[in-house]
Amino acid sequence: MEIFFIIITLFIAAIINLLSKRKVVIEVVSVVSSLISLVLSIVVALKVSSLGIYTPGSGRFFSIDSLGAIIVLVLGFVGFATTIYSVQYLRQEMQKSIIGFTRVKQYFVLLNMFFVAMFLAITSSNPIFAWISIEATTLSTAFLISFYNKPSAIEGAWKYLIINSVGLLLGFFGTLLFFTSIDLSSVGLVDWQTLTSNAIHLDPLLAKIAFVFVLIGYGTKIGFVPMHTWKPDAYSKAPAPIGALLSGALLPIAFVIMLRYKVIVDIAVGPLFSQTLLIVFGLLSIVVSALIMFNAKNYKRLLAYSSIENAGVMALGFGFGGLGIFAAILHIVYHSCVRVVLFLSTGNLLLKYSSAKIFNVKGALKVLPVTGVLSLIGFLIVTGVPPFGMFMTKLYILSAGMKEYPVVSLIALFFLALVFVSFLKHFTAMFFGEKPDNIEKGENNIWLFIPQILFVTIIVILSVYLPPFLQTLINNAVLQY
Amino acid sequence: MNLLTLQFLSEIVLLSVVFLLIMKKNVSAVYTYALQSLVVVIILLNSFFETKDLWMLLVILVMLIVKVIVAPKFFISLIKKYALSFSVSTYLNTPITLIVIAVLIFIAHSQKFVPLTSIVSDHQMLLSLALSSMFLSLFLIVNRKGALSQIIGILSFENSIVMFAVFAELEQSASLQLGIIFNIFIWIMIASIFISMLYKHFGTLNVSSMKKLKD
Repeated sequence: MEIFFIIITLFIAAIINLLSKRKVVIEVVSVVSSLISLVLSIVVALKVSSLGIYTPGSGRFFSIDSLGAIIVLVLGFVGFATTIYSVQYLRQEMQKSIIGFTRVKQYFVLLNMFFVAMFLAITSSNPIFAWISIEATTLSTAFLISFYNKPSAIEGAWKYLIINSVGLLLGFFGTLLFFTSIDLSSVGLVDWQTLTSNAIHLDPLLAKIAFVFVLIGYGTKIGFVPMHTWKPDAYSKAPAPIGALLSGALLPIAFVIMLRYKVIVDIAVGPLFSQTLLIVFGLLSIVVSALIMFNAKNYKRLLAYSSIENAGVMALGFGFGGLGIFAAILHIVYHSCVRVVLFLSTGNLLLKYSSAKIFNVKGALKVLPVTGVLSLIGFLIVTGVPPFGMFMTKLYILSAGMKEYPVVSLIALFFLALVFVSFLKHFTAMFFGEKPDNIEKGENNIWLFIPQILFVTIIVILSVYLPPFLQTLINNAVLQY
Repeated sequence: MNLLTLQFLSEIVLLSVVFLLIMKKNVSAVYTYALQSLVVVIILLNSFFETKDLWMLLVILVMLIVKVIVAPKFFISLIKKYALSFSVSTYLNTPITLIVIAVLIFIAHSQKFVPLTSIVSDHQMLLSLALSSMFLSLFLIVNRKGALSQIIGILSFENSIVMFAVFAELEQSASLQLGIIFNIFIWIMIASIFISMLYKHFGTLNVSSMKKLKD
């Protein structure tokens, strides 16, 4: 029942926000609803760790497996942190007269609808309903990307809407093809379980075609190269918390849904086909994003390409298999956490410097000491510097590929090193040196860095210690995927 | 309906996409899309007569309202509001467009796609036509510079997928189909709002003139 409560709570919050005429009511309602979602997400994760698969009610509408529970947990945490941050972030923007009350209201209505769509997508037991929910995430976020109503923001949102809609329609077509293994006239709502158990009846060639479509479709949402083109534009134009959500929550959701089809196609044609595709898309994403990151001029676009690169690392992990899968699941968790740290910190930079250009940001460590330190820690985490967990996950993934795909692993290693150099180059330019005279020193508000501190703490803890329930979930997910 | 009638209807859908690719006037494109949607509704009606499922009838009715009446009405009002009587140009000229159309139809009917077109062996021709419509709709989206044409291209692509699903006997339950149509309805409204926003900020719906993101 927890999932019902999460969805109903968030939906009611969206309605209250829509009807409310007081900013404080909107803020309180949003924070409380995201807190309730977080608490219930933890309950769901604990239940799945003890039950294996959790099917609330009759299991007709919702079904949560181990990997789904990990993502629900991630979504709960990322959602709560971004909501807290959003409250203060939008207050600052209101003070600067960048936005007015109507925009704040619009933001929180859409934010809650975005949460509803994401929770539905990851917990839905039906592949078509999951698709509808993913499409709903596109619709709820289009206006969040065009939030500032500037020509560039409208252009970014338009690209996002069109590219994702086409991609998802291709994904929908692929999804339909997977249903050829089932006699639909005798079955009502088809769930993931039915689709998986009937995978053996799939025509192998058709299964391959179907998976290619699904990979392109959901790969567009994930941001695999070459379907990534919307990502830097959308991330750079959306408010910072929305960037964190797109990268830290929506990306893993789309990734997990794609993986569910991988399980089905693996049964039909063996694992080699999907693994090869994931390795190709993964490596391509790492190489292209690393090359572009080196010459990045905008720090929000830099983070967007970093997100693409990390999606590539995850794909490599699942492509290599074995230990790579364990590491890739852990990588998804770390990646979502570090996205919050980095995106929210760039929000602080944007508030202070009023520019997303790397060239215009100097001496940020002196201007925003806490944000500066958090950003630098985020940089060390995301580039895979020890002792943080992402070092281990990248190491495990590459070593998993060393035996059968040594060339791929070495190429990936080289470009991951280039990513480190790129981040070092840009972050050194931004955080060190003398600050511009017209920029005042000091953090804007304590609530603009508390969520990042929370997530750095979580990453540090998870780098050295995995709670037993999380370990159980990861182990079960490894067996399943 | 017999196979020949269904084939005739599928050919109308295919021809409608060809027309969308070569026409110049936005109003004609909108009416062509309405006609295409009407044909898809008729194809779905055929499947209702086979199943006699009343929920299916509701789906068809909602689809008729959304795709044949509401969406074209939205688009026509946009065209009138912004005086968009002529559509912006294409990336490829008409002769090359026609060649690409021929090639895409040939590919859809080729042996390469037999796994897709033989899902229901009796419907191989129908599925090939649906696949051709899908390919052409995708080409429509990438070849047109106009934002409105891109929207119609996406909706045409969706119509083609629906047609494919019906012929491949992959229709989903009525509740899911209602969910999909609701999604499409919202998508149409949002896309229409974006059309207004694009026109307000850029003074044109030519997407090739949008270059504000080059930083």
